Amino acid sequence: MASEELFYATIRDIGARFRRRALSPVELTRAHLDRIGQLDPKLHAFVTVTADRALADARAAEAALGRGDISSPLLGIPIGYKDIYATRGILTTGGSALLKDWIPDEESTCGTRLQRAGTVMLGKLITHEFAFGIQFPGHRFPAARNPWDLERMPGGSSSGSGAALAAGMVFGALGSDTGGSIRGPASLCGIAGLKPTYGRCSRAGVLTLSWTLDHTGPMARTVEDCAYLLQALAGYDAADPASSREPVPDYVAPLGRGVRGLRVGVPREYFFEGVDPEVEKGFEQALGTLRQLGASVEDVQIPSIQSAGAFMAIMLSEAFAYHERDLREHPELFGELLRERLMAGALITGSEYVQAQRLRARLQADMHAVLRRVDVLATPTSPKPAPTFTQVYDPDYGFPRGNTGPFNMTGLPSLAVPCGFTASGLPISIQLTGRAFDETTVLRVGHTYEQATDWHKRHPAL
Amino acid sequence: MTLEEVRDRMKAARVEIAENRLEVVRRLLTDALRPIQAMDSRAQRTLEPAVTFDTVRARGDRGQ
Repeated sequence: MASEELFYATIRDIGARFRRRALSPVELTRAHLDRIGQLDPKLHAFVTVTADRALADARAAEAALGRGDISSPLLGIPIGYKDIYATRGILTTGGSALLKDWIPDEESTCGTRLQRAGTVMLGKLITHEFAFGIQFPGHRFPAARNPWDLERMPGGSSSGSGAALAAGMVFGALGSDTGGSIRGPASLCGIAGLKPTYGRCSRAGVLTLSWTLDHTGPMARTVEDCAYLLQALAGYDAADPASSREPVPDYVAPLGRGVRGLRVGVPREYFFEGVDPEVEKGFEQALGTLRQLGASVEDVQIPSIQSAGAFMAIMLSEAFAYHERDLREHPELFGELLRERLMAGALITGSEYVQAQRLRARLQADMHAVLRRVDVLATPTSPKPAPTFTQVYDPDYGFPRGNTGPFNMTGLPSLAVPCGFTASGLPISIQLTGRAFDETTVLRVGHTYEQATDWHKRHPAL
Repeated sequence: MTLEEVRDRMKAARVEIAENRLEVVRRLLTDALRPIQAMDSRAQRTLEPAVTFDTVRARGDRGQ
């Protein structure tokens, strides 16, 4: 068994080991397959482990290294895909009994781009059912568990992605984020996760939850690793109608420029309602660190922030529209909770949906105005640490409001970065949000903060 | 929103939700619709989510 240190190395470090022949992609891949075999029976992060495909990818990477082809920093890096990304010839379930046998004949654009970058695909990672429900006991697919405490949720819906990263089973993962499904698991699992600007990364070949809110993006253990993955993923894709032609900058080079002179705005309204005291304390300490690093921190007002709750009306309506036919024809193939949530979408009127979109336009305008005065917004990512399964399986648990949805409403790039732990050892996280297509500044602030702290260096005992 | 209104909406939408789950759905919808019901749509500045047709997108226009 390889050392723990290897499984928690950074992508940059692994690349350096490859180049000096201290490690080979095949050796690394075999070590990860062994680790998955050892840990996943208790974590349930993977739906499908693609060992043969992974070893083939690793051999191809090894051959490229042998030819001196080291242009991609992702060459030979083992990763996983959330199981809503279509993979040609490989089971893609969406975490749903409805798709338990679906083998797509096409590949998602994100998957194709990561393959071109030379990554090694270890497998498909469990998602909450259709990225919206949760898996109750007895579901076709078991729920992923939080590596920091197996009795707790890893967040969702990119639950397997968060758990696999925290457990050192992959170096990067594809997540998707409609209301916080990248940033939530990142927050609860103590890793980094970036929801890029709407249109920055393609959604082609990814199962839909809500067309106007869905984002794809990277999850990793460090901000720099997220930047490497984003570099491969970002860019125009004709197959996604929302894809942007905005030029793709270098996301990695500017990371080291620090935060001196940058302005950080803290919207105190909405984002602190019901926040756990330990989360708030960790967040305030993170602001103190950013100040010490040279950023200025000030409170800001987003006048229409309370309208962010309309996010749910949009998501429920669009999700029902997407699933209506299957819901009416095969309701028994949906989990009880998901079916209930989707049916709730049918109860929202056309007029209410339109008004929700108008509120969204006002929120976008207000947030753009604030981001003319500050460079990034900072909030706690999740108001509370990871809940227990007992809590979320309570029929009355409901759908707690989060701090992430407002930035799906506005489409702005938003990053979750670990910023501490509770007394009981659960991760907490700061959310940094920037201007449209300014992922560079968001990543730069996150990286600078991360490098000044050691939260990302802590790993769960497994 | 009352439970009776939830039932009326279910009838109009031709969907069924178990009676013992209606309270959870009522809470979900109440939260989702609160900002919409608080909005005076006539007083609101025009902010329709309109489609625009620009042949050349202005530089610096990074709005969503």
